[in-house]
Amino acid sequence: MAQAIASGILTGGLYGIIAIGITLNWGMMRVINLAHFSFSFLAAYFTYQITVDTGIDPFLTLFVTIPLFFIFGVALQWFFETFEIEDFMSLLVTFGMFLIFESIMRERWTADFRTLSSTEVAYKTEALRVLGLSLTVTRLAVFLVAIAISLGIWIFLNRTYAGKALRAISQDRAIASAYGVNHRQMALLLGGIAGASAAIAGAFIAVIFVLRPDGATDLIGFIFAVVILGGLGNTAGAFMAGIFIGVVQNVTGFTSLGPGFAPLITFLVLIFGLLLRPEGLFTGIDTWLAKMLSGRQT
Amino acid sequence: MRNGTLAAFITRNVSIRWYVPVAFVVLGVLLYFFPNDTVKDALGYRGFLLSFLYFSFYWIALASSWNMLTGYAGYFSFGHGAFYGIGAFTAAILITRSGWPYLLTLPIAGLAASLFGLFVGFVVFRMRQLRGELFGLLTLAVSFVVASIAANSDAIDGGQGQNVRPSQLATPEFLGSFSEMMFRVGVVVALATIFASYLIYRSRLGRGLFAIQDDEMVAEGLGVPTFRYKMMAFGLSTFFAGVVGGMHVPQIGFVTVESVFGLNVPLLVILMSLLGGRRHWMGPVIGAFVINTLDTALQRSGGLDAFGLALSGTFINELVIGLLLIVMILFVPGGLYERLERRIIPAFVVGALVAALQGIFVGGRITQQFMVIELFVIALLLIPEKYYAPIGGRFELHLGEKHTRNIPVETT
Repeated sequence: MAQAIASGILTGGLYGIIAIGITLNWGMMRVINLAHFSFSFLAAYFTYQITVDTGIDPFLTLFVTIPLFFIFGVALQWFFETFEIEDFMSLLVTFGMFLIFESIMRERWTADFRTLSSTEVAYKTEALRVLGLSLTVTRLAVFLVAIAISLGIWIFLNRTYAGKALRAISQDRAIASAYGVNHRQMALLLGGIAGASAAIAGAFIAVIFVLRPDGATDLIGFIFAVVILGGLGNTAGAFMAGIFIGVVQNVTGFTSLGPGFAPLITFLVLIFGLLLRPEGLFTGIDTWLAKMLSGRQT
Repeated sequence: MRNGTLAAFITRNVSIRWYVPVAFVVLGVLLYFFPNDTVKDALGYRGFLLSFLYFSFYWIALASSWNMLTGYAGYFSFGHGAFYGIGAFTAAILITRSGWPYLLTLPIAGLAASLFGLFVGFVVFRMRQLRGELFGLLTLAVSFVVASIAANSDAIDGGQGQNVRPSQLATPEFLGSFSEMMFRVGVVVALATIFASYLIYRSRLGRGLFAIQDDEMVAEGLGVPTFRYKMMAFGLSTFFAGVVGGMHVPQIGFVTVESVFGLNVPLLVILMSLLGGRRHWMGPVIGAFVINTLDTALQRSGGLDAFGLALSGTFINELVIGLLLIVMILFVPGGLYERLERRIIPAFVVGALVAALQGIFVGGRITQQFMVIELFVIALLLIPEKYYAPIGGRFELHLGEKHTRNIPVETT
């Protein structure tokens, strides 16, 4: 049981990383970006391909994929800004993109399962033993990176000019522009950050999971559950909700119900969460973080 | 219902022209005799056309049923697959375990789906916050929940699937062979769904739903019983989804959780309605037919091998569908029907011209010919109004039921 909780926490980190990109765009720019899933998987395939071709460590490919997907993210955001795509329209437009990316991935990498074996990634199956629990190194890394990203973005949003400007835009675009916030520039920056986070998520997906072109479809449900439960635009909440969902899944698999019931329990949690607290279960984490870090206020 | 009689009730609440129900009946009768051997020989079509048309009817019915709530009231449901799947499993289980005849299971499948739909609606429609994206995600979650219950509970399926053999269907003799029977059932279900969708569109209910779409608060303030109307629309929408799910069981043959609860159904249905235009009952019909043609023609084609790129038919199919969705939403958010209504004569001329040219010079598969015709007509419809109006404006044809929807207003 403790093992199930521990690996749930670690897997939840990956959900958190993917959800952060979605929740940022949704909460700040009112864009529901399904293409983010495609970006994550595309980045995973890139990581896979570069690792297989050159034999370097998959995490070194981040030096290529992060800048690349930053640019992709900016380009996508530019597209949203130019055509003024928001809210429901964005869901449909990015769904079209999602289909296109999926077909591109299937065409290039076929529908076969791809995976980085331990010959390419020596530490793939290595595990640390802590207090009788076995923690896979890669999953531990996901967890730590997820903490770093969500904290980093939180500090960015709360302590830098660009971050404050973004929050101002999310509250009232017209007033924010009246105070001299360049909306377009900030939106592009946000898109780039979301794209870069997709690249990081992609590297972990490539190392931990088996790659399939339609793998992104399976994740949509879980990630949206994480985003909603975390509260829109709340990266720390997304991280917490990711862990929560990860634990729920793993513990369900551990009990007598079996892993088949994991989606059922997850989505029942989501449904009740939506019905009882539509603003998200983990919204309080934001204010708590602010209190904790208030000592370092400029 | 002060006058008491059914006729008075109908005239008070629905406004339709006499020729529309007549047209539906005539079309139904004509299509019913379409698979007959004499007609088949006279027209000289191949058996594949029947199966292609069956799939068109299937998608048309499914898209129309989805549109009853979403198109009219603006509540985007991503969970249509759940109701479709409930219908399919209800029918499959009744056939395999209880030995029911296929045709009798259809209404039961519809009722089962509708009951569940009303339950979901009863919970969800009371929450004012659950509009827009949240309603969409909630319905999506509902469909995941239903799928995993079906996959894990032995009373329903337990994940092993239901094998429905043609010999178990027990359909009456006069419906003909399997493909003819499916075609005829498809005709009836599709026409019934479209007609229901048309009735809603032309009724007080439809008017109320459009008011809800435009502004729910205002609608409620003006006395539209929003909760009741949404429940009615959702109940009807899920009923027809269930019937279509049940109808499709013999075609699937082996009904599994993955095959009926996948994301395929809700996504394609959304795409079809948006392509055709979801604010009119004809929209999903057009969209479903176009997408089904593209799907069939491109999947069956050998793909493209040019410019040093070898692209498979499936790839082109998905690419075209994805691009079409993006282009439609960005440039023609109202859907094809809106444009078609105003450009009906040029569209007809272009379609006939392309059809004739193809018949003379190209030939080939019928679905491919359909696809080329449709792509040309869509290209015509995609021309922006700015460039189209100076030339095409003079060919405008005013159809009878345009813009003026004279629906009786309650006088109390």
